[in-house]
Amino acid sequence: MSELLTVRDLRLEFYTRRGMYKVLNGVNLSLRKGEVLGLAGESGSGKSTLGLTIMGLVADNAKIVGGDVIFAEHGNLITNAVWPDGKYVAKRGRKIIKRLNSQLLHIRGKEMTMVFQDSMTSLNPLLKIGYQIGEVIYYHNPRLLAERALARNRATREDMREVVMLLKTREERDLTRFLNEKGLGGLYEQINSIWQRPGMSEVKKERAILSLAGQRLSGFEKSVLEAVRDNKPVTNVPLYRGYRKRLLIREGVRKAVELLSDLSVPHPEKVVDMYPHELSGGMRQRVVIAIALANNPKLVIMDEPTSALDVTIQAQVLELVKRLKSKGSSIVFISHDLSVLAEVSDRIAIMYAGSIVELGETYDIVNEPKHPYTVALLGAVPTLTEKEIRGIEGEIPDLKNLPSGCAFHPRCPYVMDVCKKLKPDLITLGGKRQVACFLFGDSK
Amino acid sequence: METKRESELRLSFKVLFRNKSALVGTVLVLLYFIDAFVMQVYPKLFGITNPNSLVENFASPLPLPPSVLHPLGTTAYGIDLWSSILKAIRFDLAYTLAVVLSGAVIGVILGVISGFVGGALDEFLMRITDIVFSIPYLVLALAVGFVIGRTYTSMIFALALVWWPIYARYGRALTLSIKTLPYVDSARLYGMNGLKILFKHVVPNVLPPVFVQVSVDLGVIMPIFSTLSFIGFIPNANLPELGYLTTLGLNYLQSAPWAVIFPGAIITLFSLAANLMGEGLRDVFDPRRRSE
Amino acid sequence: MIIAAYNLKKYFPVGSPLGLGRTLEVKAVDGVSIKIPADEIVGLVGESGSGKSTLGRLITLLTKPTSGEILFDVPEGVLAEYEQALESGDADRRKAIEHDYSLLHMSWSGLKRVRRSLGMVFQDPTASLDPRMTVKDIIMEPMVETGHMNGEAARERVFELLRKVKLPEYFAYRYPHELSGGQKQRVALARAISTDPKLLVLDEPTSALDVSVQAQILALIKEIKQELRSGVLLITHNISVAYYMSNHIYVMYAGKMVETGQAKRVIKEPKHPYTVSLMSAVPVINVKKERIILRGEAPNLIFLPYGCRFHPRCPMAFEICGWTSDEVKEDLQYLLEEKYYVDEHTQITVDGRFALKIFGVSPERLKAIIEAERESVASLRAVKEMLPAEGGAAVRLYQGFEPTLKSYDGRQISCLLFETQSK
Repeated sequence: MSELLTVRDLRLEFYTRRGMYKVLNGVNLSLRKGEVLGLAGESGSGKSTLGLTIMGLVADNAKIVGGDVIFAEHGNLITNAVWPDGKYVAKRGRKIIKRLNSQLLHIRGKEMTMVFQDSMTSLNPLLKIGYQIGEVIYYHNPRLLAERALARNRATREDMREVVMLLKTREERDLTRFLNEKGLGGLYEQINSIWQRPGMSEVKKERAILSLAGQRLSGFEKSVLEAVRDNKPVTNVPLYRGYRKRLLIREGVRKAVELLSDLSVPHPEKVVDMYPHELSGGMRQRVVIAIALANNPKLVIMDEPTSALDVTIQAQVLELVKRLKSKGSSIVFISHDLSVLAEVSDRIAIMYAGSIVELGETYDIVNEPKHPYTVALLGAVPTLTEKEIRGIEGEIPDLKNLPSGCAFHPRCPYVMDVCKKLKPDLITLGGKRQVACFLFGDSK
Repeated sequence: METKRESELRLSFKVLFRNKSALVGTVLVLLYFIDAFVMQVYPKLFGITNPNSLVENFASPLPLPPSVLHPLGTTAYGIDLWSSILKAIRFDLAYTLAVVLSGAVIGVILGVISGFVGGALDEFLMRITDIVFSIPYLVLALAVGFVIGRTYTSMIFALALVWWPIYARYGRALTLSIKTLPYVDSARLYGMNGLKILFKHVVPNVLPPVFVQVSVDLGVIMPIFSTLSFIGFIPNANLPELGYLTTLGLNYLQSAPWAVIFPGAIITLFSLAANLMGEGLRDVFDPRRRSE
Repeated sequence: MIIAAYNLKKYFPVGSPLGLGRTLEVKAVDGVSIKIPADEIVGLVGESGSGKSTLGRLITLLTKPTSGEILFDVPEGVLAEYEQALESGDADRRKAIEHDYSLLHMSWSGLKRVRRSLGMVFQDPTASLDPRMTVKDIIMEPMVETGHMNGEAARERVFELLRKVKLPEYFAYRYPHELSGGQKQRVALARAISTDPKLLVLDEPTSALDVSVQAQILALIKEIKQELRSGVLLITHNISVAYYMSNHIYVMYAGKMVETGQAKRVIKEPKHPYTVSLMSAVPVINVKKERIILRGEAPNLIFLPYGCRFHPRCPMAFEICGWTSDEVKEDLQYLLEEKYYVDEHTQITVDGRFALKIFGVSPERLKAIIEAERESVASLRAVKEMLPAEGGAAVRLYQGFEPTLKSYDGRQISCLLFETQSK
């Protein structure tokens, strides 16, 4: 199945002192492997909530009242969270969310990660950058870290000289075979990271690779790492646990340097030693992205990652996002800025009042919008042309009190009688385009 | 689109009532105030003829357990606890209000001026605040007592003296955050002078959070005040006062525990109630928590 | 000309308030001149740290300038005279004009009148309105404060203004928290125009709003300007908005003006390297463009780069743009140690602002490296000459200069590339 993520008829409600908000009203979308899906919408559309719900980060006073979120081979993430009809009850609702959370713990951060708008509040101000990146790897993939350290310990300089030769002849398969034979698989990414580094002389790279060999480990350190690598049951003595964590995170910091240099962060060895407030906004956002990518997730959800950045820094980050796509991650890119989405997405989904009203290839959506809301939205975006921009009549609907039928009907210039009574479903027009509007037919 | 307007007052009540514990706290505090009011205006309603002094009954000088005649029992010198407590609440509440309100008024005025004017004045006032802040209230109370004399009035004075720094800091912090807001800039744009801005824009936005703090502080000061009189710091206090009542019962702690428990409990109950009420008020006033 | 500001500077002191040690200054605005004509929208664009918001506050007197002059509502003839007096050094004539028109030397009563002619809208709609005041009181405040209108007349005017900003009249009795973002901004606009101002300053008025609401507000601003014939200063970081709204545009970078001219021209055909990369970075629907990605970040406003502020990031920087030995040292060090991996023992010492001493490399090798890397490493272009010294070489750099605004191709640019004088 090439669909990485499928959201089917997702419904979510928020309970507050002012009333019940219907934030998600039957969201349907799918994400294929290796594509960037842009999710567009204004405030009140529910796009951020959708991102959070897919991640399973549902607030305490929210209730998922229907629908599925199916993620790769993990199946439906919201099983057991669907609540049979009835009044919202805080205690039981909370238990459901808790169960949801515990189910998702091993997926979140590893196969599915998220990047938020404000990088300053996404990072812990009291911890160094390297620690924060390393920690994510430690939690989800401690074995990798243990293997890396052990491999360095086991490797000899002759092994490394052999590696350098293999690198020069560019026989990747031979290299991996060689490493596996010698049990040095953990060195692979470290070697690659050095070899791929731009702007370093080959001689220096050779020296760096040679220096990977023969890392000293005390007997105790070695035993700890081996226990992690072999997945031995863990002794829960606090001192031991703390020691092991420190050891592994130290290795995680080394990996963090590699990740940051991959993201074109200058002087990554210095950056990992700094605190979040010492970095600029653009740099911090790159760190947050590094954390999101640390465990090679299948899916990254980005919620307005560039909205708080200057235009020139935004351009840098968008280039980064485009490069990520070529590395095989699938991305859901949430933004209110259609120009940014047009630049970076393969497909775009337009959201209004908690449901998707149009979905299609970027080029098609931007040049031939079908849904009246999409048309109006594009008409309001200033482009560097003489075109007049127009707002949309009316106001964003009150989620406590949604209009009957199609949520957009009070503002729609093409409103018909049926629009006031029934809510249109998403219909497929010619292969890749989907619209939820009675102007284009009916699903019945 | 016409958003249905919920009357602000109605929403405030709704918010307060949603929080059950806050509701309980508010009701309790109100009861205390009602008692004080009645004692002031029409004590006969509760069958009390001399609200300003304790009635001794030398016929039975030892404390008696609760009975029909004495619903909460009696304490030393045959003083009936129920009526004494009713009388005492009025005094304690008055003293507490005196301390908290004067501390708040002095503190907020100093803090707001300090924050608004800034510069050297701010530094100077803040250093003074820091110094006074570092003085433990008990020590200051003792010192003031020995200088001015140990009466209830001088204790009010001493406590208010120690209490204002908190309000100064609080008021200053609020002022600093309001000072930089665009609506203040807009007022300055049109030439509104500092004093006018202070009273029109800063103070109305500083007061509600301060009000919340005051309600919570009522619950903090009353036990402190009672403690001062409990430790016997105020001589010749034949006045109905909860701390004093507790002292009276102290000698009989083993044989007649109710003589100590009841007055003490009344103090603690008020503390708790004021705290809960303060929490509830916080929800009412803070615009963010309101819409939650 | 509604506003004619000359060489404005605003330096914010940083550091211990008791004046211990050197006081450092954040040079938020460092010698900026701007002119806002009546009945025109002037766009002021820049990124964070450019100083554009500070400039907006300077011309409305919310912040006092450290130095510089601001003339208000000056007839064209007088302005020409003033500029002549500046050039010729005629201090008396200059002072006389300033006496009449300067915002900084005005009497209290004069200022009161001037304030009536000002209006400002801020970025955050929620923080712009006092939560404890009704809409009516908010809109009336400027009129009452400046003595423009009072009592019943003012109340009537409030309704008129609400109609102008397309809000229903009963909104007058509402409180800010009952309004949406777009509605709040309309109230802010109504307040700003309540005294029929000659100058309207809008500081990122739509940045916090949805795109559909933004379109409405921008249309409203255009209408209002049409009716009032006021001069409008539109401060924004959104180039598309600036393009749509402005007649004339000013581009700021790190406290200085780098390019200014007709809006459509500057945006479509930028000349200054910063403007070029800024415009190329703007994502536009359906336009695939070659992005010029700048490396690095906006400079520290306390310790500004020498010479041209933009030179560390400028793709077109050349030898006199202000390279200092520190910058060259950093790049050279990287090249020698990482890329070329010459030797473990190279050492570079700084020998004054424009000189370096390099040990551990032969001058020939060094020369070869510099030749090879000049193209991609801009700082090397500043190498003027290299003389052999014991153990290595001594390098001298070109002296750098700070560019000033000069006319070129129908606009003004501050860039040494476009200065025709000799080096």
